[in-house]
Amino acid sequence: MYQYDTIDKAMLEDRAAEFRGQVARRLAGEITEDQFKPIRLMNGLYLQLHAYMLRVAIPYGTLNPTQLRKLAWIARTYDKGYGHFTTRTNLQFHWIKLADTPEILDQLASVDLHAIQTSGNCIRNVTSDPYAGATAEELDDPRVWAEAMRQWSTFHPEFSFLPRKFKIAITAAPKDRTAAKVHDIGLVLRRARDGALGFEVMVGGGLGRTPYVGPTIREFLPANRLFSYLEAILRVYNRHGRRDNAFKARIKILVAALGKEEFARQVEAEWAKIGDSTDLPDTELARIRGAFAPKSFETLPARSEAFETAKAADPAFARFVRNNVKPHKKPGYAIVDVSLKAIGDTPGDASAEQMEVVADLAERYGQGDVRVTHEQNLVLPHVKLDDLPVVHAALAAAGLATPNINLISDIIACPGLDYCALANARAIPIAQHIAEKFRDQERAERVGELKIKISGCINACGHHHVGHIGILGVDKKGEEFYQLTLGGSGAEDATVGQILGPALPYDRVADAVDTLVDVYLRERQGDERFLDTFRRTGTAPFKEAVYADVH
Amino acid sequence: MKALTANRLSDGEVVFWKGGQWVERFGDAEVFADDEAAIAAEAHGKNQPTVVVDAYLIDLVESEGLWAPVSFRERIRALGPTNLNHGKQEEGGAAIQALQHAHGAARSSGRVNLIKRK
Repeated sequence: MYQYDTIDKAMLEDRAAEFRGQVARRLAGEITEDQFKPIRLMNGLYLQLHAYMLRVAIPYGTLNPTQLRKLAWIARTYDKGYGHFTTRTNLQFHWIKLADTPEILDQLASVDLHAIQTSGNCIRNVTSDPYAGATAEELDDPRVWAEAMRQWSTFHPEFSFLPRKFKIAITAAPKDRTAAKVHDIGLVLRRARDGALGFEVMVGGGLGRTPYVGPTIREFLPANRLFSYLEAILRVYNRHGRRDNAFKARIKILVAALGKEEFARQVEAEWAKIGDSTDLPDTELARIRGAFAPKSFETLPARSEAFETAKAADPAFARFVRNNVKPHKKPGYAIVDVSLKAIGDTPGDASAEQMEVVADLAERYGQGDVRVTHEQNLVLPHVKLDDLPVVHAALAAAGLATPNINLISDIIACPGLDYCALANARAIPIAQHIAEKFRDQERAERVGELKIKISGCINACGHHHVGHIGILGVDKKGEEFYQLTLGGSGAEDATVGQILGPALPYDRVADAVDTLVDVYLRERQGDERFLDTFRRTGTAPFKEAVYADVH
Repeated sequence: MKALTANRLSDGEVVFWKGGQWVERFGDAEVFADDEAAIAAEAHGKNQPTVVVDAYLIDLVESEGLWAPVSFRERIRALGPTNLNHGKQEEGGAAIQALQHAHGAARSSGRVNLIKRK
């Protein structure tokens, strides 16, 4: 992975020292809460229901074992022994004390971690493919570009006070694991007919109060012109974004208001003015690319006898392989999805001990590489097939081998009203109830790919709009109700889900999901996924069943 | 009936007003039958910016002979999260049980007013 240089390290140390002084001044009463709040937010520190929450940035979802162990140590020392991985591929600590935060930032800085760009109206942590550098599907390694964007965007003076927050996703594979089309900017690496590398640029996607799938404003942007083009997009946004109304301030509102053609025209005009002076020099790109040079993979046969024997002998291992192990670009290796969705546990939570287990496995069997997915799981991207049985056993012993990736119990849930000051309703217990209903892995596998995403408020941190089944918590005169949406997708076929009907009370949601699954199994043709069946039948059979049941 | 709540500045802990002090247990909170006394306490609370953040009044209902916040959100603040038993509810006891068994629902009017004022 990319190694921070002396400039990066000095920057993090300075930032932590600056915040130490700011916290001291706040505690001494030298600055007010109104003055302090934007400062603490710029350091990822929120005040939530029970305590402060520190959101630690995990740039493009990439960690090394030393960093993961440090996160475990912080969880144990300053929190209640765990952390929560989010849909932004960050890690949140939910029980942090303000007075401890400067020390925590120092500790993070010691392993090149920080909480920069995790809050505020700046360019946030870039989302990238968790299988980057491991999947044979990719045209290029998207981490190279994500790291370049990190360096370009961090403390960029022109883009530190945008009309609203700004999220970029980048992927280089046809299978989109980043939800690129529902980001402010989605970048998909493409190759032109002449072999040249470039980007399809989508702008104005987003979730929240007003969900949009981002339209493509440029089919092919030459790769070496990325940064001037991003600058042009952000300049148009900075100039015309709605600073008068926070609910209309995201770029998606501007793109929708202008129309994609007019927005694209303005970007092109701005881009022509900027020229190529702000593009990344080839030498700098090569330097960054060097940090992501292919690992030293061994030359192995494609077939591993140890792996095949274990698979034949152990049904639990075979099930894990079916659901959590993906093909690697190198023969004899595999990508391993580590599920943070054990049945009945909190989606995305990892205990300090679990973090240490993953760090140890990455170090011993995974080339020191760990990824965080936007679906709140972890990935060991480079594991030898020969080592899979022992890795599986270690994960299973730590409660990390639930064989449910992309299945119905692999649920995204935001922290919801259990922790978050913005939430209207709880998300975690709804996820727990649904997962319990599908505890039987046989049944879950029969149901197949089904993505449930739950948000505790309209801000949609739980991505409910793009769930095959989306669940949105709403507040009806102080009571928790849940609106169901069907048919959403955050993948390459991105779609905003359709509202099924009136919101349901808390204790009816899991049963309603069960009913939806029964309808799907009844209506399914051939190998259709839930999403395919829904697209063919529309809402009618689902609506009829859920509301017949309710009344 | 009302109580006064806030988050403590230094650690974010949920706290309640009791006779000029901030206490951590809802069961120890001062219960105001009189609106004027509640508003006076709120004014005191707001005047302690180096001690607490966002002081506001919450409405209470009776539960098992004790008091509990009407708002579900405020009951979660007084108890801790419902997914793990590691908030204030860890301590157990009658006051905690009364909170856990409380019914009734309403928005947290004190908090809504706080947001409106911002």
